[in-house]
Parts: sequence; structure tokens; C-alpha cells
Amino acid sequence: MATRLREVDVVIVGLGWTGGILAKELSEAGMRIVALERGGMRATNPDFAIPLIRDELKYAVRNALMQNPARDTLTFRHSPSEPSLPMRQLGSFLPGEGLGGAGVHWNGVTWRWTGIDHAARTYYEQRHGKSFIPADMPIQDWPMTYAELEPYYDKFERTAGVSGKAGNIRGTKQPGGNFFEQSRDRDYPLPALESSYSQILFNDATAQMGYHPFPRPCANASRAYTNPDGSRLGACVYCGHCERFGCEANAKGSPHITVIPKAMAQPTFELRTHSWVTKVMLDSTKKKAIGVAYTDVSNGQEYEQPAAIVALCAYAINNVHLMLLSSIGTPYDATTQKGIVGKNYCYQPGGGGVTLFFEDKIFNPFMATGAFGIAIDDFHANDQFDRAAMGALGGATINVGQSNGRPIGYRPVPAGTPRWGAEWKKATAKWYLRAMNIGVTASNMPNRYNAYDLDPTYKNVFGQPLLRLTYNFLENDKKVIAYVGQKAAEIARSLNPTSMTGPGTLGDYNIVPYQSTHNTGGAIMGSSPGNSAVNKYLQSWDVPNVFVVGASAFPHNSAYNPTGPVGALAYWTADAIKKRYRQRPGLMT
Amino acid sequence: MRRGVAGGYPSTWLGTTPSLSRGWWFVVGSCATLVATAFTSPVRGADVEKGKAVFEQCAACHSLDGTGDYDGPTLKGVIGRKAGSLEDYRYSAAMKRSDVVWDAATVDQYVADPQAFIPGNRMAFAGISDKTQRDDLIAFLAVATKDTNSK
Repeated sequence: MATRLREVDVVIVGLGWTGGILAKELSEAGMRIVALERGGMRATNPDFAIPLIRDELKYAVRNALMQNPARDTLTFRHSPSEPSLPMRQLGSFLPGEGLGGAGVHWNGVTWRWTGIDHAARTYYEQRHGKSFIPADMPIQDWPMTYAELEPYYDKFERTAGVSGKAGNIRGTKQPGGNFFEQSRDRDYPLPALESSYSQILFNDATAQMGYHPFPRPCANASRAYTNPDGSRLGACVYCGHCERFGCEANAKGSPHITVIPKAMAQPTFELRTHSWVTKVMLDSTKKKAIGVAYTDVSNGQEYEQPAAIVALCAYAINNVHLMLLSSIGTPYDATTQKGIVGKNYCYQPGGGGVTLFFEDKIFNPFMATGAFGIAIDDFHANDQFDRAAMGALGGATINVGQSNGRPIGYRPVPAGTPRWGAEWKKATAKWYLRAMNIGVTASNMPNRYNAYDLDPTYKNVFGQPLLRLTYNFLENDKKVIAYVGQKAAEIARSLNPTSMTGPGTLGDYNIVPYQSTHNTGGAIMGSSPGNSAVNKYLQSWDVPNVFVVGASAFPHNSAYNPTGPVGALAYWTADAIKKRYRQRPGLMT
Repeated sequence: MRRGVAGGYPSTWLGTTPSLSRGWWFVVGSCATLVATAFTSPVRGADVEKGKAVFEQCAACHSLDGTGDYDGPTLKGVIGRKAGSLEDYRYSAAMKRSDVVWDAATVDQYVADPQAFIPGNRMAFAGISDKTQRDDLIAFLAVATKDTNSK
């Protein structure tokens, strides 16, 4: 029998970036908050202290900071005609677990999406004609414009300590920044990080070719920084242990050193760790949430936490799972194309990248940060980019980063090298220092069959159906990778490497090797209940006292990483709750 | 690349006994310039104000006054203190074993290259290669970390 607890104003499910931002903003406004985090407590000291955090086997291979798939996972199939099977080991993506969530182990790439993404359907229809959009591609506009979200992007960049160089301040182009950036009110809070040798080569080569290289914005602090809330960030030490690790130097913009401690300082805020929310409880009308049910996973004790507002701030995948388990909104059915929840799942195709090997160059890949890099946006955010030649919507950024040069995972060798044995050893010793990579990060447009629903067979440790993912790469994705991959190869050839591998082509999606933790959609935002699960304030159309915050709201995925708009939308939603919903609960318009 | 002044100070300079430490405090507090700079930097004295700016690199993890929630140990009273000796801070074994006592010379060597001076310590900081910046920082620390309550 579950223990019923005292009602609060807001119960927050998951305490990562979005939950942390809501927790801070709403508790400082005097609202009584309980945050339920399924994982444990975390602090930089001692959890991320050197030398123990630099354990590649523990953190990067065995995923110490991630969700345990033995407890809950999802099932997968490529198409509705295939049987689905549970993902028993993490692979393609790595949902975080524990205080700070994926905001602890992310790399820190922090883009603002542009007007092309904010008004995807309108833009492509106007620019390329209605017939350019395939019939089975349900893209749609965001319900808010870039200009509306701009102050919230700014707020997130300042909270997270983003290093970068503006390309467009109030309509004036800025040399050195992203030429295709949307207008912004002011520059990044921190200057760009130092570039690596490979980034300098890429910068010069792309500039020579007439492209527009710029430093990729990243939440790795280029110098010590105190954010507007008084949270202190240290300077990045280029240690090469960023993604899959917590930052030893407090240099990675992370919720556990910024918004969460600010919430915890408020008397109206309470954090409960090891608290696994199994369901949002609805009243008899099914139009109002009365709280959440959760299990203390340290002892199996069950609780009900009543609340006036339920904020789902778990990882994007788990937000959708909770909505389906709680019967919030109508589940999407790909066969009939009726229903909404589970629709427009998107990911991020790769495979267009090129690895270059030079007999005469040394790159020191161990000097690395999660997100620093030089990028070009000429084949993505560029309005002049002729997508007719590519034959596809969206595009891809071309980047040279260098997130790590760790001994287990980073072993570049030229094509044709044996996979093991003396020849491999010789090659890996020779080429470790002498290789660089040009990456291609592509957008992903939705398809009617790429979606989530509840699995009919497999259950999690609580006896609940697992979330089932049906997904594959489609023609549009393959064309983007093929086209932009060739552009990356041209840039690579201009650097005259001794040899190079790639670009590859995009085949079927493979859920086993790691690609990116950029899973979007499923609880998408839009202008009406007919086209979306949540409205422009990320409020459920069906159950208006439930807010669903995160990348689950994206109707498609950009070639940009998701965390910039995830943070901005969290501030945007918090503002709407504080300034509007609180005064007058109900559906906001 | 930046061992800088390791060994540049006579090991007995300043000393580590309480009486000598107090004497050094007097010098620093009164003229805000380290006598030490005379050995290496005859042109320019260490600058406390500039040192305050250098300290911003440290401020993410270290308090000067022992208050607040920081990941590193407080620097309140650090000069003259044995490394790794605060009871309420969990140091690395390397720091506790180090047998270092913090004075201008040891702080200088440590800050120049933390892992070279005390290998295996847990401070996540690459170091300050610029000797002038270190001198300024030490001048600032001498003033700002002074523990007025200690005997």
C-alpha cells in the first residue's frame, strides 16, 4: 500500500537541466517543490574528483553515470513488420541517471536553433515548394518563434557558461562568428576556447574554399566564470574526459553546480533521490493530474506525492514513456496515423565523416574538451544553400572537434589495417597522434513510422510495459549524408593527407554502436491539440496541469545538438508557470 | 614547459615556524609586496590587485574566508599551514603525504604545475605558467587568506 504524502505546489520528475531550471525558478518564486530523482546524489567532490574520474573503463565503457538497462530500457525494431526486442545494453544513446542527469555527462555543445528550425514547414514550403516535402514526413513549425525564445537562449547560455563567438548581434554580422546565426542580443558570456591544431587546419581550409568557419558554441568554460546566479565555474583544463564523465574542474556547464544548488538553498524545495516515478495519477475526469506515484528504489517503499502541477523533466525518452503509462493524451498509431503521443521520434544520423592521416603532422588528441571545435553551417542554416541539388530537407554541419583521445576508445587506423595483432599494434602506435577527424552532423526529419508506443510483450522491473521504439533512417537522411559527406571529403582532400577513410554512406539504423544521445520528439509541441501533445508552454493539451519539458517536445531534429533549446524552453516554461499559470491555472493560450 | 621557479627560492627562505610566518605576514601586510620578488623580478613588485584578478581562476573551488559550499578546501589561513591538514576536508592521499608546508615558495611551485609538484593530488587545475601572475597571486593570497582568529 502506497503512503500518501502531503501535497505540494509542483512535483518535478527528474532533476537534470530542465528539472533543475524549473526547480530553481519556481522555488525562488516561493512555490513548494518536491523533485523526485530516480538516481542518486552527486557532487563534483568527491564524485568527479581526479584521479578516479579519469577511469575510462568505468565511465566511458561501463557507463557508470547512465541508466541501468536491467531495470528499465526500451525495445526496438526497424519497422512495424519486425518483432521488437529489448535493448539489454546501452549503445546508440546513453540516458543519464542521478542528480544532474545527462547535464552531467554531456559534452556541452550549445547551439541556438535558427528560424529555419523554428518554422520548419513554413520555411521549406516557401523556399522549396510544398511538393519538396514528402507526404510521409510530418514536419511542423514550432509554436513559438526564434525571437520569442531569444531571451531564454541568452539566459541559458549565461547560466551554463557558454564559450563562443557571436556571428550576428542585433542584425549586425560579427567577424569570426557564425555567419548564418540568427540575430542575438549580445555575445556569449565567455570567449571561444583555444583551438586545436586540427581545428586550425580545418578553419583555414574551409575559409580558403569560401565557406564560413567559426568556433562551435560550447558549455566548456574557456576561463573561470561566475554566472548571473552566483554559481562559480572553473576553467576547462582540456583533459579529454568530458562526455560520459562529470567535470573535475566544474568547467562544464552542469545543473549540479548551477541551478540545482540554488534550488536546494530555498526552504520551499525538497529533493528526494532514488525515487522512481512510475505513473502520473489522474482524477476521474482524466483531465487533471493529482500527483505522481513513485517507488523508493533503495527499499521498495511506494509513495503517492500529490501536487497541483506535475512537471515531467526526465530524459526525453522517459517523458514519453511516462505519458503513455499514465494515459495522458492519445497514443499515436502509425497505421492509422491517429493520435499524438509517441509521434515524430527523431534522432541524429552520422556516418558522413572523414578521418585523415598525416605522416608529417602531430595532433596531440588527448588535449581535448567535450565540445570545442570549428564548424561550418554552409550546408545547414544557410538560407542560400540549394537543397534541390541535395534533393532533401535539412542539412548537416561539418565540424572538427576532438572530444577525447582516450586509450581504449580512440584508436584511429587507416583503412586496410588488420583489426588485431602485431600489425594493428604498430599502426595504432603510429597513427594515434597523426590522425584528425572531420565530422558531419545531420538533421533528422520525422517520418510517420518513426515513433514510440508501449511494447505488447516486454516489461520493466516494476511490471510496466517497456517503451517500444520503431525507427530507421530514411531516404532524406541518406541523401543529406551522401551530399554533405562529399563536401567534407573535398575539404579533407584540400588538406592533402597521406590517406583518408570515409565518408561512409548511411544504411539502416544500428542501435548498438554509440552515435549520439540526441533523441527527440514523442511529446511534440504545436499550435493545436490536433497536431501536438503539448502547447507552446509545453503544457499537455489533455491534462493542463502536466508540463512535459525537454527534447521530447521537438517536432523534428536539427543538425544542431539539442541542449541549447532544451535549456531555453525550460526557462520559457518556468516563466509561463511563474507569471501566468500560477495566477490563473488552466490551459494557457 | 613551465617548471618556472621550482627550486628558485632557498628552501629556508621564510621558514615554516610560527614566528617566522608571523614576521612574513607583517612584511606582506604592510607594503603589499613580497620581498620574494626581489630575487626574481627586480623591475616590478608583486601587485595585490592584479593578484585578485588572477585568483578568479581559483575562486570556483576555494573560499578565502571558510564560508560557503566549495569543492576545494578553504584557503583561509593557508600560508603557514601544512598541506592536507584541514580536518573537515577530504584530501587525496598524495596531498596528505606530501610533507609540504604552504609558504610563498611552495605555493609558487605548486601553482606553476600542480601535478608535477605533488603528483596524484586532486586539484583540477592546469597551473599558471606566468611567473609574474603567480607572484601577484601569492601577494594577494598573503593578504586575503589571513586568518585573523588564529594564534
